Amino acid sequence: MLSRSAQGLYWMGRYLERAQHLCRLLQLQTAALVDRPVQEIYFGWSRIYISVNRLPPGGSLGLTASDDGSFEEDFTLADSYTLADDLTFERSNPGSVWSCFAMARENARQTRNCVSAEMWSHLNLVYLRLQGRDIQDIWATSPESFYTQTTNEINTLIGVAAATMYRDAGWHFLQLGRFIERAQLAVSLFQAQLATEVHFEESSEADWTSLLRAYHALEVYNRSYSVDVQPNQVLDLLATDPLLPDSLCQSLDVVGAQLDAIGPGPNAESSGATRRLAGRLGSLIYYDWPDLEDREQALQDLAAFCRDLHTLITTTYFDYQVDASPVS
Amino acid sequence: MNFDEYQLDDDVYDEMFLPDGTPREHSQDLYELLCQLSSEELANIQDRVTRSFSNEGITFTVYGDEEAEERIIPIDSLPRVLSNTEWQEIEAGLTQRISALNSFLEDVYGRVGSNDPYGEPRIVHDGVIPVDMVRGCPQYRVEMRGFSAPHGTWVAICGTDIVRTNDGFRVLEDNLRVPSGVSYMLANREAVKKSYRRLYRRSRVREIEHYGQVLQTTLRELAPGGQSDPTIVLLTPGVYNSAFYEHIFLAREIGAELVEGRDLLVNNGFVYMRTTTGLRRVDVVYRRVDDDFLDPLVFRPDSLLGVPGLLHAYKLGNVALVNAPGTGVADDKSMYAYVPDMIRYYLSEEPILANVETYLCRRREDLEYTLDNLQDMVVKRVGESGGYGMLVGPHASPQEREEYAEQLRADPAGFISQPVLALSRAPCFIDGRFEPRHVDLRPFVLHGRETRIVPGAFCRVALRRGSLVVNSSQGGGGKDFWVVED
Repeated sequence: MLSRSAQGLYWMGRYLERAQHLCRLLQLQTAALVDRPVQEIYFGWSRIYISVNRLPPGGSLGLTASDDGSFEEDFTLADSYTLADDLTFERSNPGSVWSCFAMARENARQTRNCVSAEMWSHLNLVYLRLQGRDIQDIWATSPESFYTQTTNEINTLIGVAAATMYRDAGWHFLQLGRFIERAQLAVSLFQAQLATEVHFEESSEADWTSLLRAYHALEVYNRSYSVDVQPNQVLDLLATDPLLPDSLCQSLDVVGAQLDAIGPGPNAESSGATRRLAGRLGSLIYYDWPDLEDREQALQDLAAFCRDLHTLITTTYFDYQVDASPVS
Repeated sequence: MNFDEYQLDDDVYDEMFLPDGTPREHSQDLYELLCQLSSEELANIQDRVTRSFSNEGITFTVYGDEEAEERIIPIDSLPRVLSNTEWQEIEAGLTQRISALNSFLEDVYGRVGSNDPYGEPRIVHDGVIPVDMVRGCPQYRVEMRGFSAPHGTWVAICGTDIVRTNDGFRVLEDNLRVPSGVSYMLANREAVKKSYRRLYRRSRVREIEHYGQVLQTTLRELAPGGQSDPTIVLLTPGVYNSAFYEHIFLAREIGAELVEGRDLLVNNGFVYMRTTTGLRRVDVVYRRVDDDFLDPLVFRPDSLLGVPGLLHAYKLGNVALVNAPGTGVADDKSMYAYVPDMIRYYLSEEPILANVETYLCRRREDLEYTLDNLQDMVVKRVGESGGYGMLVGPHASPQEREEYAEQLRADPAGFISQPVLALSRAPCFIDGRFEPRHVDLRPFVLHGRETRIVPGAFCRVALRRGSLVVNSSQGGGGKDFWVVED
């Protein structure tokens, strides 16, 4: 497969995953606005902004303490409107849902001869629909249902892709992009969870419950552990449960499987290095994590490995060196 | 909806109606159907057709100051209908024309039949075309001198603009470089036929959807060494090109990789593309990049769109380039005037399709005629296309005409002029009514080792009332075009 097409599909996968991840977090966050305490809402916003490594508009979250709390309540809603806009529709924010989705579509457009017609058609429809929305309009009705709908649309898109795409290298690069992105996003969200906790000096059980919800894992957690939520157990579940579709180990398994399916690139050495690094990532979760005391350090290692893996994939399959002389 | 308000003009051929207002025979069915449909139903059809274009992302990109904007070409949902007999005349004329044009290009550049490869072309030697018209043409590629195109095929893909007047069909322009619009021919058909299911079936419209197969066959015929399963790529300037949608579309249709210059490289005279498993040989390049940008080692050195060494590989016969570089010398606006002579000279036949009467302002008497009759002429710059740099005499103010006349006097050879043509009109559904609009036709001719023409065309419409300019960059739109069995 043409390197540039493979790269386009890989990035399309990454951007789609990013858009969907953010939508899911915003879905929970806007749902929380209805009835959750101010502190928890701020925890949520802070977690998102730290995980995407972005400063909120204005530079910081306006955490003002007032005695009776009413002043704060008003501002929580106003701030949330601005923050949701910044993360959803802001064109100048390259990480907003809009920007990610537009980038996913742009990559699909450029590699359109490699994606199925059904998939392109659906992707384009979602794009056109998103283009017609703005924060005022979704805030006026139910922001939550907008995020639910968009999440569902992306899920449908992935389903359409799975149902219609030819399983050649293009499909595997698309999957590879999605799942590397998923692993990276999970790692940075876990890191953000811990960092926010430090920042707020305390966290409530609810802050961990919402993290479980983000991964559709609350019920599983209650069943496997207890209704009493323990931070370390939450991280263990989200990192190591092989049955949880979004768990870290699940994502890394898929990454390894895609690399196996793709096979080596033109350079044996860097192909080998790529596959070995993916294996090392998996073993960190499977064999090291359960015995770890310092999960923070492990998360740091995982984040660094994921970045390295991305670089290796790029140099192995997309931007490899060639010696050629144009004229004989 | 009825046609009571629809206006006919004796000087203008109407595609649907005879001068007395009765429908032409091959348009009878369409006419009856349109009369039965209500204005709401027609509006729904129009809406559905338009929506299918934006939903499928059939767009061209306009780059403004800030954001790039994707637009769709406005499509009128009423098809233009032609009888098969009329089509056959066009088909024969186009076949004849591409044959003469390829002979001309071989004569201009090639060494076949000549002892002196750097001597004059035969047609120049025999006094049919002046030598400076050929060698002085900006599109003449001296780098191609002494090269013979494989199978004599310089132009394998051509999009010819044809108009109709009360005197019959006329060729307005041969597009022999990188003609575009064929994706609209196919997309218009896809969108429109769904809206007229029964009529479409009953009318026995000739199919065009095999265009992709025919194009693939043509490209395969040109593969070096007669390989049966060559690797074909479509070379695009990239996503910023306004025809990018078409490039994607065609790559899909013919099962070719869509590549940019940076995906290809030349090593030891062979062309390769960069794939995830290493370099892979390329046999045929259907290029949608202009000559100038094709190979920075030979043409413009600042080109980032091309492939260094591509022309070298082509001349070695290791790769096919479609169309060949240098074909622009034959579709230059002043060379156009000589195509009927080329047909007589190379084929010893009379042209089946006539040209539009053309005045070459490089000739003193033609310049004078043009200047004296500016209010009745269309004047075009030789090097421009897409409807730019053009003066439509009757629509220009006296001051505009005077300014243009000055440019003309300063550089007569840079201009040609033609009488204003009464382009035929076809009914369109505009603002809830049937209104006549001027139309033209761009059929696509394919020629590998033989000529093949799919019975269809991109029909362009000047959507502004009274306008004669059909270019999509100038307020033009499209229509589906049906050839129906008699």
